[in-house]
Amino acid sequence: MAEYGRDCRAQPFMTSGHGSAQASAVLTAEGIGKRFGSGATAVTAIDEVTLSVKQGELISVIGPSGCGKSTLFNIIGGLITDYEGEVRIDGRRVSGCHPDIGMVFQEESTFPWRTALENVEFPLEVRGLPAAERRQRAQQFLGLVGLTEFADRYPGELSGGMKARTAIARTLAAHPKILLMDEPFGALDEQTRLLLGDRLSQIHRELGQTTLLITHSITEAVHLSDRVVVMSYRPGRIKRVVDVDLPRPRSSEIIESEQFGHLVASIWHDLREEASRGLAADEASRRSS
Amino acid sequence: MSRAAYLRLATLLLVWAAWEALARSGLVFQGVVPSSLTVLASAASELGSSNFYPHLWRSAEEIGVGFAIGSAAGVGLGTLMGVAVFLGRMAHPYIHVLAPTPKIIFLPVLMILFGVDIGSKIAMGAISAFFPVVVATYDSVRLVPPVLLRVARSFRASRWQTVVKVYFPSMLPAVVTGMRLGLGVAIIGTLLAEIKLSNRGLGFLAIQRYEGFHIPDLYAVLLIIFVLAVAANIAIGRVADRLQRRHVISRRTPSR
Repeated sequence: MAEYGRDCRAQPFMTSGHGSAQASAVLTAEGIGKRFGSGATAVTAIDEVTLSVKQGELISVIGPSGCGKSTLFNIIGGLITDYEGEVRIDGRRVSGCHPDIGMVFQEESTFPWRTALENVEFPLEVRGLPAAERRQRAQQFLGLVGLTEFADRYPGELSGGMKARTAIARTLAAHPKILLMDEPFGALDEQTRLLLGDRLSQIHRELGQTTLLITHSITEAVHLSDRVVVMSYRPGRIKRVVDVDLPRPRSSEIIESEQFGHLVASIWHDLREEASRGLAADEASRRSS
Repeated sequence: MSRAAYLRLATLLLVWAAWEALARSGLVFQGVVPSSLTVLASAASELGSSNFYPHLWRSAEEIGVGFAIGSAAGVGLGTLMGVAVFLGRMAHPYIHVLAPTPKIIFLPVLMILFGVDIGSKIAMGAISAFFPVVVATYDSVRLVPPVLLRVARSFRASRWQTVVKVYFPSMLPAVVTGMRLGLGVAIIGTLLAEIKLSNRGLGFLAIQRYEGFHIPDLYAVLLIIFVLAVAANIAIGRVADRLQRRHVISRRTPSR
C-alpha cells in the first residue's frame, strides 16, 4: 500500500485508543456472507468478503451489477443485520446502525419538504443539538460541498448534482468516523461525476475521513481511491485488490495520464469477465421466464 | 384572464340568463322557478335576519366538531395501520368495504346512540369525514419513499422521530387531499342529518322553507349553503396547495 502525500492537518473526528492488533484498520469486514431466500431458489449475494480500511484511506468497491455491492454497503452500514461474518470498527464488533458510520445512499435521498440547510440539520436534530449550533454546523457543511448560496432552496429547485452534494453534506454533518457511500453520483452524467469527484477528493483531503465507496465506474474508482477492490459476479467475492499508486492531491485531469490508463485497463481486464457473466446470466433468466 | 376563464364566466351568465328567461316566460309556475332577483332578495333578508345566525352557527359547530373528530381519528388509525403492517392487513378490507357505503344509513343508529339533538349530527359529520381521511392516510404511509426511512435509520432516529420527521411530512399533501374530500362529505352528512330530523341548522332551515312552500327562501338557503361550501373548499385547497408546493416545487432551474 503506497503512502501518499495526503494533507493530514485536519482529522478532527478521530477518537483515540483503539486496539493494537488492528491499530491502523478503522473498519474491518471479516468473512461477510449473505444469502437471500431459501431452498432451491436461494441466492448467495456475497460470500467470504474480507476487507479492511485504514484510517483516512479511501477504498472503492467495484463490480458488475448483481455482485452484491449494495448488500455489502447495507451490511457494513448496519441496515442488514442478519448475515455471516463480522463488521468491526476499531477492532470492536458492531451490529446495527452505528454513529461512527455515515451512509450516503444511491437513490435520491434528500427530504423534499426540507430546504438544503434543513436537510443537513436532520441528523443534528435527531441528536438533539440546540437550534443555533445545528444551523451553524449545517451551514459549515453546506459550504464544504459548495452550496452556501442554495441553503434555502428546496430539493425540487436543485439539480441532481446539488441534491447529491446536499445528501453528502448531511451525512458529513453527523461527524461519522467512516464514510460509506453507495454510488453517490450514480444518477448523474459522466462529466458531472468527474467534477463532483474532484470535490469529493478535496473534501476527503480536508476531513481525512476513512471512506468506503461503492461504484460501478472504473474511472471514478481509480480517480478517487487509494485501493480498488474488484468483485466477482454472483456470488460476490473479492477477485482482486488493486493499489492505486497515483500521486495526490489528484484532480480529474489525472485521467489523461498514462498510468491512469494502465490502471483502468487492468481493472477492466478483471471486470470484463465478471460483467460478461452477469450479462449472460441476466439474459438467460429473461429467456427462461 | 385566460380564455377558459372567459368561457367559464360566459357559461355562468348564460345559465343565469336562461333561468331568468324561464322565470319570466310564465311557462312554469313562478313558485317553482322564481326570478333570481327574488332569490337574491330572499337571501339578503335571510342574512339580515337575526333568526338566521343560530342556524348557521349550529351547522358550523356540527360540521367543525364532526370533521375534527373524524379526521383526527382517520389520521391516527390510518398512520397506525400503515406503520403496523399486521394491523393494516387486518383492518384494510373493512375500511375499503365501508368507505363507499352511504353513511346516511347509519343515521338511525347514530340517533339511538347519540340522541336526536346535536350529538347525532356531529357523529354523522365525523363518520363521513373519517373514511376519506383514513384511506388517504393509510395509502400515503405506504408511499413514503423507503430510502428516506433508511436515511432516518442510518442516523439512528427513534421510532417517534421517524414518524414525526419523516412519515408525517411525507404524508402531508396526500392527507390534506383526503381531508379536503372529508370536509365535503362531512358537510353533506351533517346537512342530511339535519334535514332528516332536527330543529336547528341550515339543513333544517332549508327543509322548513320547503315545507312552508317558501320556494324563493328555499333557493336562498341553498345558495347560501352552496357559497359557504365553496368557500370552505377553497380555504382548505389553499392550505393543500401551499403544502404541495413545498414538495413538488416545479422544475424551475435555479437562478445563478
